[in-house]
Amino acid sequence: MQTRFLRIALFLAAAAVPLVLILVPIGSFLLLSLFRAEKHQIIHDFTLINYVNFLGSWTYLGTFLGTLLLCLEVMALSLILGYPIAWFIWRQRGSRQYLLLLLAVVPLFMSYIVKLYTLRSMLGLNGLINQILLGIGIFQSPSRVLLFNQRAVLMTMAVIYLPFVILPIFLALERIPRSLLHASTDLGAGAWDTFRRVVLPLSLPGTIAGGLFAFVLALGDFITPQMVGGTTGFTIGRVIFSQFGLAYDWPFGAAMASILLATALAGIVAAGYAITRQRV
Amino acid sequence: MQTLGERRAEIATGILTALVFSVLYAPVLISVLFSLVEIRGGKILWETLSFEPYLTLWSNPSVLAALSNTAIVAVVSVVIASVLAVILALYTEWSGALGRRFLELIIYLPFLLPPIVTGLALLVASAQLGINRGVATIIAGHTVFVLAVAYRLVLTRLQALPPSLVEASFDLGATGWQTLRYVLLPHLASAVTTGAMLSLTLSFDETLISTFVAGDQMTLPLRLWAMMRVGFTPEINALVTLVLLVSIVLSVITAWRLKPTGETEED
Repeated sequence: MQTRFLRIALFLAAAAVPLVLILVPIGSFLLLSLFRAEKHQIIHDFTLINYVNFLGSWTYLGTFLGTLLLCLEVMALSLILGYPIAWFIWRQRGSRQYLLLLLAVVPLFMSYIVKLYTLRSMLGLNGLINQILLGIGIFQSPSRVLLFNQRAVLMTMAVIYLPFVILPIFLALERIPRSLLHASTDLGAGAWDTFRRVVLPLSLPGTIAGGLFAFVLALGDFITPQMVGGTTGFTIGRVIFSQFGLAYDWPFGAAMASILLATALAGIVAAGYAITRQRV
Repeated sequence: MQTLGERRAEIATGILTALVFSVLYAPVLISVLFSLVEIRGGKILWETLSFEPYLTLWSNPSVLAALSNTAIVAVVSVVIASVLAVILALYTEWSGALGRRFLELIIYLPFLLPPIVTGLALLVASAQLGINRGVATIIAGHTVFVLAVAYRLVLTRLQALPPSLVEASFDLGATGWQTLRYVLLPHLASAVTTGAMLSLTLSFDETLISTFVAGDQMTLPLRLWAMMRVGFTPEINALVTLVLLVSIVLSVITAWRLKPTGETEED
């Protein structure tokens, strides 16, 4: 027989590390967002002033909304690129399919910093993209339009987070029973009808989840905007990062991070909901 | 049987896949090339071909310090996370577990949330507790980050084990400890190893959380970041090539281990 006390003690023993290393830190920065800073000193009075300041200042609120828009664009672009690729991999068979899948997944583990720098050098004035566009005559002279703007941030993020999108879409496609496809063909549907009425609806939950992964990852990224966005690439992640560095207003940074946390959680919950809607 | 339309769709998506994959793998090709030869005015100067940068790398103290930090952080955090993953999986699968969903949510949070949130949370907590940032806080950051992956893999394996296995062990007179030691752990071993491999790969490249908790210490990705801000040298490209090589080898081994079930870290 287990007493209630023993069960609680066992819970605390098992959960001690996650509680101390995950829940307490998140709690402590949520708490910090309710304090305020004055001349680099943290005043421990409860106040909502940080949130009021955030909502009342277009500089911050605008940056936040701009970041949301950017992340939605990243989501859309990575889905537009990711879905056809996942579909192509799904259509292959056996070891060829496995190899392609492996090729799609390995970039997830390649150094993030290295990917950023090579993409940056590719987009740069003497970069590969410029050379190609010069070669085929689209550009008359090397152009700077590819780097240090919001478009560059968008493209770089889409490339970096693409593997996170391809994988869930592929897994969703893989779960569709072949018998459904055969049934659709037997009932006289063409390839396009089968895709539109069977494959696409059944893979939609995984696709939405994949897109939301890209959204959440892009949301908190503060290095990509800095590297390829230059001075125009101001996202909420960068603003938060600067509050803990140069600006040194930790409570205000914590408040913005709390808003980021809430947005990310909403995205994660939506992705979880999308996955449970997967009917096959 | 394929219709003409399907054939065309496959060719079109195949071309797109090839294009996108070449962009995804460009970092590898570019760094290998630049580490070996000089490129000027769009021409590759083959006469400058040299492996020298790979050798000078080993006499750079800041690179070696970052390398040793990365190795210490990876090994320690992976060991802690693996042990925790087994304990937590056994606990959440136990019928008397309290707050199972709550505990799982906490475990998954650092993996699901943007790394900036996890990094900041640890930064704020260590500052308020007066803990100096350094290797220990990086280890804490990496442990919570990879725990989700290790836990998920162990849990999936544990759930796949037939309950009769444990029942049989008890029927044959084994104690709880003996059942754990001789029945459960051997069955979990390969899942733990796969989780550890995956965790090692993730820890090796982790950048965003480390930025917040590193203090004045450097891990390899942070060192690289600092070096690249100054400008590119063949030495940096050599280091990048080695880093990419290690990541690719680790991830291919992990993927190969995961092959039978086709399962990946994105659960």
